[in-house]
Amino acid sequence: MRQKCMIQSKASAPALTSPAAGAAGFAALDKANSLGKSGLRRLLAWQLVRSAVRIGSAGSLALLFGALIMGESVTPALVVAVAALVAAAALASLMADRCQALAETSVSKALRVALRERLQAMPAGLQRKLSPGSAAVAIQRHPEAIAALVVGHRAATMMMAAGPLLAAAALALVSWQAALLVLGLTPVMILFFALVGGAIRQSARAQEQAFGHLAAQFADRVRTLPTIVGNDAVAREQAKLAERLDVYVGRTMGVLRLAFLNAGLIDFFAALSIAMLAVFLGLGHLGLATIPGFSHLALWQSLFILMIAPEYFGHFRRFSEQYHAKAEGLAAAAGLDDLLDITADPPVLPAVDHALAELADLPPHGLVVISGSSGTGKSTLLRRIVGIEEGAANGAVIPAGSCAWIGMDSFVPGATLEEAIGEGLGDQAIARVSEVAGRIGLLDDELLRGGLAAPIGPGGVALSGGQRLRIAVARALLGTGTVIADEPTAKLDPATARSVRQGLREIASSRLVIAASHDPALIALADRHLALSPAGVTELAA
Amino acid sequence: MTSHTAMPERRDTATLWRLTILLGAAGLACAILLGGLSAWFLGSVAIAGLSAAALTFNFHVPAAFVRLFALGRTATRYGERLLGHKAALADQTSRRIALFGALAHGPAARSAGWQLADPARLADYLDDVEDLDFATLRTDLPARLLLAGLTVAVVATAVLAPLALAPIALLIGVMGLGLRRLLREGEACWQAVRDRRRQGAEAFGRILPSVVPLQAEGAWPGRCAAALDLFSQAEDALAALRLAQARTDALAFLLGPGAAVSVMAAAWIAGARGAELLVPAFLAFAWLALGEAVQSVSRMAVAALRRKTAQAEIDSWAAPDEVGTGAAAFAPAHMTHLHRHSLRRRAPDGRPLGDPLFIELKAGRPTLLIGPSGVGKTSLLKQIAGWIGDDALTGQAGPLCPAQRAASAMLCPHDAAILADTVRANLFAQGRCDAELWQALEAVELAGRIQEAGGLDGWITQDALSLGEAQRLNLARAWLSDKSLVLLDEPTEHLDPLQGRRILTRLLERLSDRIVVLSSHGVAEWPGSVTLRL
Repeated sequence: MRQKCMIQSKASAPALTSPAAGAAGFAALDKANSLGKSGLRRLLAWQLVRSAVRIGSAGSLALLFGALIMGESVTPALVVAVAALVAAAALASLMADRCQALAETSVSKALRVALRERLQAMPAGLQRKLSPGSAAVAIQRHPEAIAALVVGHRAATMMMAAGPLLAAAALALVSWQAALLVLGLTPVMILFFALVGGAIRQSARAQEQAFGHLAAQFADRVRTLPTIVGNDAVAREQAKLAERLDVYVGRTMGVLRLAFLNAGLIDFFAALSIAMLAVFLGLGHLGLATIPGFSHLALWQSLFILMIAPEYFGHFRRFSEQYHAKAEGLAAAAGLDDLLDITADPPVLPAVDHALAELADLPPHGLVVISGSSGTGKSTLLRRIVGIEEGAANGAVIPAGSCAWIGMDSFVPGATLEEAIGEGLGDQAIARVSEVAGRIGLLDDELLRGGLAAPIGPGGVALSGGQRLRIAVARALLGTGTVIADEPTAKLDPATARSVRQGLREIASSRLVIAASHDPALIALADRHLALSPAGVTELAA
Repeated sequence: MTSHTAMPERRDTATLWRLTILLGAAGLACAILLGGLSAWFLGSVAIAGLSAAALTFNFHVPAAFVRLFALGRTATRYGERLLGHKAALADQTSRRIALFGALAHGPAARSAGWQLADPARLADYLDDVEDLDFATLRTDLPARLLLAGLTVAVVATAVLAPLALAPIALLIGVMGLGLRRLLREGEACWQAVRDRRRQGAEAFGRILPSVVPLQAEGAWPGRCAAALDLFSQAEDALAALRLAQARTDALAFLLGPGAAVSVMAAAWIAGARGAELLVPAFLAFAWLALGEAVQSVSRMAVAALRRKTAQAEIDSWAAPDEVGTGAAAFAPAHMTHLHRHSLRRRAPDGRPLGDPLFIELKAGRPTLLIGPSGVGKTSLLKQIAGWIGDDALTGQAGPLCPAQRAASAMLCPHDAAILADTVRANLFAQGRCDAELWQALEAVELAGRIQEAGGLDGWITQDALSLGEAQRLNLARAWLSDKSLVLLDEPTEHLDPLQGRRILTRLLERLSDRIVVLSSHGVAEWPGSVTLRL
């Protein structure tokens, strides 16, 4: 039983360790920025085209209406130009929106690919530390939020500079004084912004702490509902929730009152500019006063000025509405980095290092049992044997990806018992599914009715830990390669534990089985027994 | 919407909503009139400027109105946004309270596995709630205003330039068709987004706990890619929705300029010239201003279809209407005895489990349920508590239906949650004095930890406590409970065996006058208790 044969030379082991371990941070925002660069450029180009064509169509409309009212002749070319420019503006708007949707989607998807590669390469020892639910939320939502920040929000920021300049240039074509007037209003507006922005930040800071407690109360009570029901506290919590939500609403209104001032201010300056321009232009037309830049204009020119002035302020307004996109995107980027840059110092477990050295020499078949009280590192040792624990100096003895793993946490594929056992196995093995399942006690399980067709729910949700474990044993029996078993008989009733031990012993006759267990009956069956203790390893004769 | 969620909001916020819509209407009117009036004004002065009429032209009145409309638009917009949010937030409170009640009385909260404890499901649920909260603000209000604006503009067009009605009807028709298509296609897209997102979260949630076996077996990269790919498919569906929106917006953009040109052309064809064109120009510029408001039409449509899906989802969580809060809430007098000769055990999904069971529960004699995991211990506890099934158990004063038992039971789930609240609130012991609370914390060996964390009024959250600490707080709740039926699911889980034994001894002594049932796969027997092996 104890042939000396190296299954895996230690020399090739380091290659199996994860390349991501210890690598630089994920830096979601930088990645997204470089991923979004070309999309952002395209989007910006389309948004500029949209702005320009809109100004053009406004100009053509002003020309047409001005000519009609003043009784001047309207050339067919002008009518065609109006139709063409309006249609072009609609088209440019479609293209810009389309470009934004596609660019954001592609950044988000590319970001998720990077994320996936990171997750695929991350050693299991680290990933065990993630909470599945919050990780799923982060992977689902964060890339979208980051993409919206680096494409949509950034484009809006740049358009806030370019758009008004474009509008001012168009105004200057007709009257540079009018352009000067709206340009002159801008610093005043920005000054107001600075004042209001400061006040908003200040009030937000002051309310932040109380806010933090209140904001998530509804979510928290929904999450903890069964506990609330179990303690007969539904009515009490409902009353408390009502009270807290009311306070929350009151505080939110306080913040909104200031936050809406942003948009309100922009509206105010847009309104102010229109009112001033209308008066100047009116006086100019009447010839009652000579105002440089506003006298001797054609009607179409005045109409044009009046149509373009709001466009000048529109970009500021659009940007101010994007405020939350920035906050969300930054938070999402930080969240992803937190998720993916987890590190953990490998625990110092001298016994594990010793045991690994002991296990460098493994027979091609036989049952090796590692025992030890909890905390001595049995599970860590198993992970290091296959090289999926964090930390560089791994010393894997079995190539990861080639063994069968038996444990309560084994993954259960398929929708029925038959699929769960047979998935991914060859035809020969599948022919034996029924026999093996029967032997391991899966066909006469009272809690798993229906034989091989028994439904197990997606991912085996309907299964108990013991059932999962036995499915993993059945898969191992039908598979090839080394078997690693983590506490294969714990939490099983005696009869089932016996059948699992028999199964492992049977596999061990032709393949290598390494089990971590403190089950004396299993230890008794071992060909080799290593006892881990905080002090070190004792090799006990089997 | 079920009756739970519909009633309270209307009464409270109707006035606010009326004011909001009034301000919104005033704002839209100001915007439209500003556009029209300033065009009319410029046209008038331009024509007057050609003659001596310039000297007598009353310049101040229209200029004052231009100022009025410009500032009016600013003020009403601000007011509309503020009041609209105030109304929506007030509605949000009453809707969320009602939702919470409906959720609490729904079957999902009592059956196996609370799905909304999962962050991914909870986040989706909260999105749905928010879609409902702000639907009025995002879709009903702007849609009504827009419809009113369009009606007024169409009527004015019918009077001033009837010939323009044909092209305008065509433009509105095209936009309507686009909207209908968006609603139809968008719903399918949105459903696909939701489905893929949920499938992705579920797939990821299933593989992550198995990351060690999967990596060892080499199946991790493939499974991980498959799960994350579902999220990316969701994003493709979302992009399809956004593209459909972009198409609708492009069609909607045509309405303003198209209608404006049509009105001027119609007036021209009808023979209006020069000053006669000023009133049509007023209308044309009003259409241009209205065109600005039309441009958010796709967002309204998407908010509407999101509300529809959200409502369907949220209703599925709520209690069926006949399960009222007050139906059988009266608790029987103190129970000391519960029995049934043959109780048919049921799994959470309703299928029968094992052979019928004889159970006899007595105060002062705890019953210990043991058996391997998955055998249905938790389900039996819930069945005894009256949370699942419809079996009557016989008490000393006659049969007790599930609702009656539920009213006098305290069920301590094994994965008991910590509320984000004070320690005091987390103990669920209203009316108990501080000394008693401390005594309970002392009994579960948590007093020192709580003292450090700020005492009874310190704020705690789930993440702030370890699993063992959460479990001990959970046992303190049982210690303080005054219910006559106390059910403890795996009370010593996550505890050091010796500590678990100490705490359980104290707890059972304290509850010696109650009916206590506890489940465990670790403890095989307990002095003074009867063991029920499943």
